Amino acid sequence: MSKILVVDDSSTVRDEVAGFLKKNGLDADTAVDGKDGLAKLKASPGIKLVISDVNMPNMDGLTMVEKIRGELANKTVNVIMLTTESSPAMKERGKAAGVKGWIVKPFKGDAVLETFRKLAS
Amino acid sequence: MITAQARDSFERIFRKAAQARLPIEPGDTCEIAPVGAGDATRTDAMKGAQVVVLTISSIVFRLLLILHFDENDATRGYYLKDDVERPFQEVFLEICNLCCGAMNQELLRYFPDLGMSTPYVLSAHCLPYLRELNPDFVSAYSVTLNGSMQLAATICVCADAPVDFVADTSAMEETSGELELF
Repeated sequence: MSKILVVDDSSTVRDEVAGFLKKNGLDADTAVDGKDGLAKLKASPGIKLVISDVNMPNMDGLTMVEKIRGELANKTVNVIMLTTESSPAMKERGKAAGVKGWIVKPFKGDAVLETFRKLAS
Repeated sequence: MITAQARDSFERIFRKAAQARLPIEPGDTCEIAPVGAGDATRTDAMKGAQVVVLTISSIVFRLLLILHFDENDATRGYYLKDDVERPFQEVFLEICNLCCGAMNQELLRYFPDLGMSTPYVLSAHCLPYLRELNPDFVSAYSVTLNGSMQLAATICVCADAPVDFVADTSAMEETSGELELF
Protein backbone atom coordinates (compact mmCIF):
# COMPACT_ATOMS: atom_id res chain seq x y z
CA MET A 1 0.00 0.00 0.00
CA SER A 2 1.31 3.48 -0.82
CA LYS A 3 1.98 5.68 2.14
CA ILE A 4 1.00 9.26 3.06
CA LEU A 5 3.43 11.39 5.09
CA VAL A 6 1.94 14.05 7.42
CA VAL A 7 4.44 16.80 8.35
CA ASP A 8 3.49 19.23 11.14
CA ASP A 9 5.21 20.54 14.29
CA SER A 10 1.89 20.31 16.17
CA SER A 11 1.26 16.82 17.57
CA THR A 12 -2.44 17.74 17.70
CA VAL A 13 -2.53 18.18 13.93
CA ARG A 14 -0.31 15.14 13.25
CA ASP A 15 -2.56 12.93 15.37
CA GLU A 16 -5.75 14.36 13.90
CA VAL A 17 -4.73 14.01 10.24
CA ALA A 18 -2.81 10.72 10.46
CA GLY A 19 -5.55 9.26 12.69
CA PHE A 20 -8.22 10.25 10.17
CA LEU A 21 -6.27 8.71 7.27
CA LYS A 22 -5.67 5.44 9.13
CA LYS A 23 -9.31 5.23 10.20
CA ASN A 24 -10.20 5.42 6.52
CA GLY A 25 -7.88 2.62 5.48
CA LEU A 26 -4.89 4.68 4.33
CA ASP A 27 -1.31 4.10 5.49
CA ALA A 28 0.11 7.21 7.20
CA ASP A 29 3.43 8.16 8.76
CA THR A 30 4.33 11.45 10.48
CA ALA A 31 7.25 13.90 10.67
CA VAL A 32 7.74 16.80 13.09
CA ASP A 33 9.25 19.40 10.71
CA GLY A 34 10.58 19.83 7.17
CA LYS A 35 13.96 18.34 8.01
CA ASP A 36 12.36 15.22 9.48
CA GLY A 37 9.95 15.06 6.53
CA LEU A 38 12.82 15.14 4.04
CA ALA A 39 14.64 12.34 5.90
CA LYS A 40 11.51 10.16 6.07
CA LEU A 41 10.79 10.70 2.38
CA LYS A 42 14.37 9.74 1.50
CA ALA A 43 14.10 6.56 3.58
CA SER A 44 10.62 5.53 2.32
CA PRO A 45 10.28 5.49 -1.47
CA GLY A 46 6.70 4.17 -1.06
CA ILE A 47 5.42 7.61 -0.01
CA LYS A 48 3.15 8.95 -2.76
CA LEU A 49 1.57 11.93 -0.98
CA VAL A 50 2.97 14.46 1.52
CA ILE A 51 0.58 16.66 3.53
CA SER A 52 2.62 19.44 5.13
CA ASP A 53 2.33 22.55 7.29
CA VAL A 54 4.19 25.71 6.19
CA ASN A 55 5.43 27.36 9.40
CA MET A 56 7.62 24.90 11.31
CA PRO A 57 10.92 25.12 13.20
CA ASN A 58 14.22 23.81 11.71
CA MET A 59 12.88 23.70 8.15
CA ASP A 60 9.59 25.19 6.92
CA GLY A 61 7.24 23.30 4.60
CA LEU A 62 7.93 25.27 1.43
CA THR A 63 11.70 24.89 1.79
CA MET A 64 11.11 21.16 2.27
CA VAL A 65 9.17 21.01 -1.02
CA GLU A 66 11.95 22.88 -2.84
CA LYS A 67 14.46 20.35 -1.51
CA ILE A 68 12.22 17.38 -2.44
CA ARG A 69 12.17 18.58 -6.06
CA GLY A 70 15.80 19.80 -6.04
CA GLU A 71 18.11 17.83 -3.74
CA LEU A 72 16.09 14.58 -3.79
CA ALA A 73 15.16 15.10 -7.47
CA ASN A 74 11.77 13.59 -6.61
CA LYS A 75 9.38 15.01 -9.19
CA THR A 76 6.58 12.48 -8.68
CA VAL A 77 5.51 12.67 -5.02
CA ASN A 78 2.35 14.79 -4.62
CA VAL A 79 2.52 17.54 -1.99
CA ILE A 80 -0.47 19.29 -0.39
CA MET A 81 0.08 22.17 2.06
CA LEU A 82 -2.20 22.20 5.15
CA THR A 83 -1.66 25.54 6.88
CA THR A 84 -3.18 28.65 8.46
CA GLU A 85 -1.25 30.70 5.88
CA SER A 86 -3.32 31.79 2.89
CA SER A 87 -1.42 34.62 1.24
CA PRO A 88 -1.30 34.61 -2.58
CA ALA A 89 2.49 35.11 -2.46
CA MET A 90 2.99 31.92 -0.42
CA LYS A 91 0.67 29.96 -2.68
CA GLU A 92 2.64 31.21 -5.70
CA ARG A 93 5.90 30.10 -4.08
CA GLY A 94 4.32 26.72 -3.38
CA LYS A 95 3.06 26.40 -6.92
CA ALA A 96 6.49 27.29 -8.32
CA ALA A 97 8.10 24.66 -6.06
CA GLY A 98 5.75 21.95 -7.31
CA VAL A 99 3.02 21.92 -4.66
CA LYS A 100 -0.13 20.21 -5.96
CA GLY A 101 -2.71 21.89 -3.71
CA TRP A 102 -3.38 24.10 -0.69
CA ILE A 103 -5.74 23.67 2.29
CA VAL A 104 -6.31 26.41 4.87
CA LYS A 105 -6.73 24.92 8.37
CA PRO A 106 -8.79 23.69 10.14
CA PHE A 107 -8.61 20.22 8.57
CA LYS A 108 -11.95 18.85 7.36
CA GLY A 109 -11.10 15.29 6.38
CA ASP A 110 -14.35 14.26 4.73
CA ALA A 111 -14.05 17.11 2.20
CA VAL A 112 -10.67 15.92 0.90
CA LEU A 113 -10.53 12.16 1.55
CA GLU A 114 -11.30 10.99 -2.00
CA THR A 115 -8.75 13.39 -3.52
CA PHE A 116 -6.13 12.17 -1.02
CA ARG A 117 -6.91 8.58 -2.06
CA LYS A 118 -6.36 9.43 -5.73
CA LEU A 119 -3.17 11.40 -5.08
CA ALA A 120 -1.77 8.56 -2.94
CA SER A 121 -2.55 5.77 -5.41
CA MET B 1 -0.95 56.12 12.65
CA ILE B 2 -3.99 53.85 12.72
CA THR B 3 -7.32 55.46 11.88
CA ALA B 4 -10.43 54.97 14.02
CA GLN B 5 -12.08 52.84 11.32
CA ALA B 6 -8.97 50.66 11.03
CA ARG B 7 -8.94 50.14 14.84
CA ASP B 8 -12.61 49.21 14.70
CA SER B 9 -11.85 46.81 11.84
CA PHE B 10 -9.05 45.06 13.79
CA GLU B 11 -11.48 44.65 16.72
CA ARG B 12 -14.29 43.24 14.60
CA ILE B 13 -11.93 40.85 12.80
CA PHE B 14 -10.65 39.61 16.18
CA ARG B 15 -14.17 39.09 17.56
CA LYS B 16 -15.29 37.15 14.50
CA ALA B 17 -12.16 34.96 14.51
CA ALA B 18 -12.34 34.31 18.25
CA GLN B 19 -16.01 33.36 18.08
CA ALA B 20 -15.32 30.99 15.19
CA ARG B 21 -12.16 29.31 16.51
CA LEU B 22 -11.90 29.48 20.32
CA PRO B 23 -14.99 27.36 21.14
CA ILE B 24 -14.29 23.64 20.83
CA GLU B 25 -17.84 22.68 19.82
CA PRO B 26 -19.99 24.56 17.25
CA GLY B 27 -22.83 25.15 19.74
CA ASP B 28 -20.65 26.55 22.55
CA THR B 29 -21.17 30.19 23.47
CA CYS B 30 -18.32 32.72 23.28
CA GLU B 31 -18.88 36.09 24.95
CA ILE B 32 -16.29 38.77 24.33
CA ALA B 33 -16.27 41.94 26.45
CA PRO B 34 -13.80 44.81 26.21
CA VAL B 35 -11.44 45.48 29.11
CA GLY B 36 -10.09 49.00 29.68
CA ALA B 37 -7.35 49.68 27.14
CA GLY B 38 -5.02 50.85 29.90
CA ASP B 39 -5.37 47.43 31.55
CA ALA B 40 -4.12 45.53 28.52
CA THR B 41 -0.49 45.64 29.63
CA ARG B 42 -1.21 45.23 33.37
CA THR B 43 -0.60 41.66 34.46
CA ASP B 44 -2.88 41.98 37.49
CA ALA B 45 -5.81 43.30 35.46
CA MET B 46 -5.92 40.43 32.97
CA LYS B 47 -6.92 36.85 33.68
CA GLY B 48 -4.36 34.15 32.98
CA ALA B 49 -0.92 33.35 34.31
CA GLN B 50 0.39 32.51 30.87
CA VAL B 51 -0.06 33.90 27.38
CA VAL B 52 0.16 32.50 23.86
CA VAL B 53 1.65 35.03 21.46
CA LEU B 54 1.20 35.01 17.68
CA THR B 55 2.27 37.62 15.17
CA ILE B 56 0.82 38.73 11.85
CA SER B 57 3.28 40.91 9.95
CA SER B 58 2.90 43.06 6.87
CA ILE B 59 4.94 45.87 5.32
CA VAL B 60 2.78 48.47 7.07
CA PHE B 61 2.02 46.91 10.47
CA ARG B 62 2.82 44.15 12.94
CA LEU B 63 -0.08 42.72 14.93
CA LEU B 64 0.40 40.66 18.08
CA LEU B 65 -2.50 38.45 19.10
CA ILE B 66 -2.05 37.53 22.76
CA LEU B 67 -4.33 34.93 24.32
CA HIS B 68 -4.24 34.71 28.13
CA PHE B 69 -4.97 31.44 29.89
CA ASP B 70 -4.67 29.57 33.17
CA GLU B 71 -3.84 25.90 32.87
CA ASN B 72 -6.45 24.96 35.50
CA ASP B 73 -9.07 22.21 35.66
CA ALA B 74 -11.71 24.32 33.91
CA THR B 75 -9.47 25.14 30.93
CA ARG B 76 -8.03 21.63 30.68
CA GLY B 77 -11.50 20.12 31.01
CA TYR B 78 -12.94 22.36 28.29
CA TYR B 79 -10.21 21.77 25.70
CA LEU B 80 -9.18 18.19 26.50
CA LYS B 81 -12.57 16.76 27.56
CA ASP B 82 -11.71 13.36 29.07
CA ASP B 83 -8.52 12.85 27.08
CA VAL B 84 -5.81 12.83 29.75
CA GLU B 85 -3.06 11.69 27.36
CA ARG B 86 -3.01 14.73 25.10
CA PRO B 87 -0.70 17.53 26.28
CA PHE B 88 -2.86 20.58 27.04
CA GLN B 89 -0.49 23.21 25.68
CA GLU B 90 -0.14 21.39 22.34
CA VAL B 91 -3.92 21.40 21.94
CA PHE B 92 -4.37 24.98 23.10
CA LEU B 93 -1.53 26.31 20.91
CA GLU B 94 -3.21 24.85 17.85
CA ILE B 95 -6.55 26.45 18.84
CA CYS B 96 -4.76 29.82 19.13
CA ASN B 97 -3.03 29.18 15.81
CA LEU B 98 -6.41 28.62 14.14
CA CYS B 99 -7.79 31.82 15.71
CA CYS B 100 -4.84 33.84 14.42
CA GLY B 101 -5.12 32.08 11.05
CA ALA B 102 -8.76 33.20 10.76
CA MET B 103 -7.69 36.82 11.46
CA ASN B 104 -4.88 36.47 8.93
CA GLN B 105 -7.25 35.12 6.28
CA GLU B 106 -9.63 38.07 6.72
CA LEU B 107 -6.83 40.67 6.83
CA LEU B 108 -5.46 39.29 3.53
CA ARG B 109 -8.48 40.85 1.82
CA TYR B 110 -6.97 44.28 2.60
CA PHE B 111 -3.22 43.55 2.96
CA PRO B 112 -1.87 40.99 0.46
CA ASP B 113 1.62 40.72 1.96
CA LEU B 114 0.90 39.03 5.33
CA GLY B 115 2.95 36.37 7.10
CA MET B 116 2.26 34.59 10.41
CA SER B 117 4.54 33.38 13.17
CA THR B 118 4.30 30.05 14.96
CA PRO B 119 2.69 30.37 18.43
CA TYR B 120 4.80 30.51 21.58
CA VAL B 121 4.01 30.58 25.31
CA LEU B 122 5.22 33.27 27.73
CA SER B 123 4.53 34.15 31.35
CA ALA B 124 1.89 36.88 31.70
CA HIS B 125 4.56 38.83 33.59
CA CYS B 126 5.97 39.75 30.16
CA LEU B 127 2.89 41.84 29.34
CA PRO B 128 4.18 45.19 30.69
CA TYR B 129 6.99 44.97 28.11
CA LEU B 130 4.44 45.47 25.34
CA ARG B 131 4.81 49.19 26.10
CA GLU B 132 8.41 48.98 24.90
CA LEU B 133 7.10 48.28 21.39
CA ASN B 134 5.43 51.74 21.40
CA PRO B 135 2.22 50.27 19.99
CA ASP B 136 -0.15 52.47 18.02
CA PHE B 137 -3.18 50.47 19.11
CA VAL B 138 -3.81 48.15 22.06
CA SER B 139 -7.15 46.63 23.01
CA ALA B 140 -8.03 43.95 25.53
CA TYR B 141 -10.97 41.63 26.07
CA SER B 142 -12.29 39.06 28.47
CA VAL B 143 -13.47 35.91 26.70
CA THR B 144 -16.03 33.64 28.35
CA LEU B 145 -16.80 30.24 26.86
CA ASN B 146 -20.04 28.45 27.78
CA GLY B 147 -20.76 31.01 30.49
CA SER B 148 -17.92 30.03 32.81
CA MET B 149 -14.62 29.15 31.14
CA GLN B 150 -12.43 32.26 31.21
CA LEU B 151 -9.75 33.38 28.76
CA ALA B 152 -8.60 36.87 27.88
CA ALA B 153 -7.11 38.44 24.78
CA THR B 154 -4.97 41.42 23.87
CA ILE B 155 -4.46 42.85 20.40
CA CYS B 156 -1.40 45.03 19.96
CA VAL B 157 -0.67 46.73 16.64
CA CYS B 158 2.51 48.62 15.73
CA ALA B 159 2.29 50.64 12.53
CA ASP B 160 5.24 51.44 10.25
CA ALA B 161 3.05 53.54 7.93
CA PRO B 162 -0.49 54.95 8.05
CA VAL B 163 -3.05 52.15 8.37
CA ASP B 164 -6.58 52.79 7.13
CA PHE B 165 -9.14 50.21 6.02
CA VAL B 166 -12.74 49.19 6.66
CA ALA B 167 -13.31 45.48 7.14
CA ASP B 168 -16.58 43.97 5.96
CA THR B 169 -16.88 41.21 8.56
CA SER B 170 -20.55 40.60 7.79
CA ALA B 171 -19.54 38.87 4.57
CA MET B 172 -16.72 36.78 5.98
CA GLU B 173 -16.57 33.71 3.77
CA GLU B 174 -15.77 30.31 5.29
CA THR B 175 -13.40 28.69 2.79
CA SER B 176 -11.11 26.92 5.25
CA GLY B 177 -10.77 23.18 4.94
CA GLU B 178 -11.30 23.24 1.16
CA LEU B 179 -8.62 21.86 -1.13
CA GLU B 180 -7.45 24.35 -3.77
CA LEU B 181 -5.75 22.31 -6.49
CA PHE B 182 -3.06 24.00 -8.62
